[in-house]
Amino acid sequence: MSIVEETRRALLVLFPELAAVEEEARAAAQAEAEIQAAEEAAAAEKDENEMDALLAERDAVRLDAESAKQSVAADEDNLEAAEQEDPAAEKKEKEPEEEGPRENGIVLTDHASRGTDIDVFCDPDQVVAAAGIMDEAGFFLEAITGVDWIKEDKLEVIYDYNQYGQEQCRVVVRTFVSRTEPEIPTIMDVMPSADWHERETHDFYGIRFTGHPNLIPILLPEDADFHPLLKDFTP
Amino acid sequence: MSVPVQCRHDETFVLNLGPQHPATHGVLRVKLTMDGEYIVKAEPVLGYIHRMHEKMAEDGNFAQFMPNTARMDYLHALAYNHGYCLAVERAAGIEVPERAEYIRVITVEMNRLTSHLLWWAAFLLDLGGFSPLLYAFDDREQILDLLERITGSRLTYCYFRFGGVYNDIDDEFIAGTYAFIKRLRSRLPRLYHDLVTGNIILIKRLKGIGMLSKEQARRYGCTGPVARGSGINYDVRKNEPYSVYPEFDFDVPVYNECDSMARYMVRMDEIEQSMRIIEQALDKLPDGPVRAKVPKILKPAAGDYWASVETARGNLGHRLVCDGKKNPYKLKLRSPTFSNLSCFGEVAEGMLLADALAFMGSLDLVIPEIDR
Amino acid sequence: METENVPSSIVQFAQLDKLLNLCRANSLWPMTFGLACCAIEMMCTGGSRFDISRFGAEVFRPSPRQSDVMIVAGTITKKMEPAVKTLYDQMPEPKWVIAMGNCAISGGPFKCKNNYNVVEGADQFLPVDVYIPGCPPRPEALLEGIMTLEEKLTGKRRWPRRQPENIGSLS
Repeated sequence: MSIVEETRRALLVLFPELAAVEEEARAAAQAEAEIQAAEEAAAAEKDENEMDALLAERDAVRLDAESAKQSVAADEDNLEAAEQEDPAAEKKEKEPEEEGPRENGIVLTDHASRGTDIDVFCDPDQVVAAAGIMDEAGFFLEAITGVDWIKEDKLEVIYDYNQYGQEQCRVVVRTFVSRTEPEIPTIMDVMPSADWHERETHDFYGIRFTGHPNLIPILLPEDADFHPLLKDFTP
Repeated sequence: MSVPVQCRHDETFVLNLGPQHPATHGVLRVKLTMDGEYIVKAEPVLGYIHRMHEKMAEDGNFAQFMPNTARMDYLHALAYNHGYCLAVERAAGIEVPERAEYIRVITVEMNRLTSHLLWWAAFLLDLGGFSPLLYAFDDREQILDLLERITGSRLTYCYFRFGGVYNDIDDEFIAGTYAFIKRLRSRLPRLYHDLVTGNIILIKRLKGIGMLSKEQARRYGCTGPVARGSGINYDVRKNEPYSVYPEFDFDVPVYNECDSMARYMVRMDEIEQSMRIIEQALDKLPDGPVRAKVPKILKPAAGDYWASVETARGNLGHRLVCDGKKNPYKLKLRSPTFSNLSCFGEVAEGMLLADALAFMGSLDLVIPEIDR
Repeated sequence: METENVPSSIVQFAQLDKLLNLCRANSLWPMTFGLACCAIEMMCTGGSRFDISRFGAEVFRPSPRQSDVMIVAGTITKKMEPAVKTLYDQMPEPKWVIAMGNCAISGGPFKCKNNYNVVEGADQFLPVDVYIPGCPPRPEALLEGIMTLEEKLTGKRRWPRRQPENIGSLS
């Protein structure tokens, strides 16, 4: 089993519903495999592939968006031309697809085109559990950052995990917090390196990491009361 | 091993190291709580050279951020060029011609040599040796001449473009690079290793100082020579191959001693490995264009993209969030030294002040990269 | 902190002053004070090829109390500004300031639309004597800056200024 698959299974703990669905699928696949017990081992492997396909179907919405995005990339020039012709109509078509509310879950992404392998979307209070799973799996924290989606009136918090193994597996854990009351539990107890990353994110976006013992400005002056990377910031 | 804290008098005092201190390589400040010569608590204070790079990225278009990339890690500016180009090329789906990839690798590795040479000089200056600086700068100037010839600048390069490089290399550059490698190969064992590495004072100051265990390195997210000195075999060039690195035969030096000497040795070995890569790349250098046709104003598809490269200090990541407009919606820079330095507080506890400075030097800090 | 008064203002010894200035100009002691990229070029200037000691200015002192030239080599941020000011105040009179690089002159590339953290030039709070443009300036430019400072002190230039050939008049 590849490390990506292993990590995905480990992360499924966060999403009991998804895990249950997958368990069913696995049971079904196993039953099928038992029916075809007489056949050789290669067939069983094929079934596993089928199971993967089944799983992929659950994330159909997300994947549709993905493929749509990829086709957007391919026909970029055409789209640009279209945008110039009728920008309003084009935007209306594009936006609900790409920026619609994303459901909690795990998506496998293509490393060559995105740079990441597993994309996890969870609730704000699940990030500590996610960090615990990552820590147990031997991952290290690469970065924490925020993104200000001012139009949707929310802040995205992104955690990047990576591991030292020879096989590549980069995990992104993301969650949304409200823009008016941005609060999220700290993962410092699990990953000490999160200390500075969280302070930096607090500097730039004003996201409060509850439970962080020392949430003072790190890159900005000590008395700074502004959050410069918010989109509505003016010096 | 570092000596345990000896709080005999319950009397501690606070010592302010920096922001103006020659051993902090810039404007790092460390608040030290001392018991005599022993450190009870060390707390790095950052932000003295925070230059708003991430905000500037959002304000301009994609190409306008290129000059900024060179000013973060000015010692390995071309790796920052490379990392940003990779991120944008990944987002916009730009293919880079093969010759350009080779030139990128050659120049990045030469830049890595200058970075390691300067680290070597400055590190030994911290430890009290002045003459190594003169040797290292002599060699470094040779590379700077070669790089200046093709890039146009000595330090803050803005040489890479989306889809290639700005300028082709010429025969004189190739001949000069071969000659330089020959020269450095002859000088390395005699001037660098005989004079310094085998020196008993250096060994006494570095062996067993600044023990950073493998588990600590992982928990603090250390990468680059700091992680490799702690027995972690992690190099982005091998683990997550980008550009044309898979085509070259080179080793990743790993030492298991976990001390400052191990980190020193990793970097010294990397000098040799970088020279191997440059030689192979020059031998195999293909013909062809050095720059793909790329529209002046890029509008990558919405989504977020990550690109990692290995700088002289570790894993540099760019997270690029696009919203389909001509400027990045958000650019997060994951700088290696930011994570590497975060272990300082834990490791320096209980150390002698002089040892802590040797440990800090072995982390190879570039402060504008930490503060961004 | 108030600047000290130079006692030479009451009684003037013209020849002695000239001699003292000549001595000062030929043995400038810069402070080891790197802020950013320009500090590396400052190190190169002190290194083996450019060899700042040819001009008597190689004694880089880590302490402001022992130095008489402050080379502001790099970007000054709002967090760093008080520290730079303190360092300047701690230097004994007479003292001079060289603003090395575009950041120290005007904020350089960081003078942007949403600038929230960079001080736009050392001359906002320090009396700058010599400006050296460049991003970063080449070591030769720093040497030229030091010679310009010498010229300011003695009224004479060490070497005659040469116009580059084939480029035409630059002045």
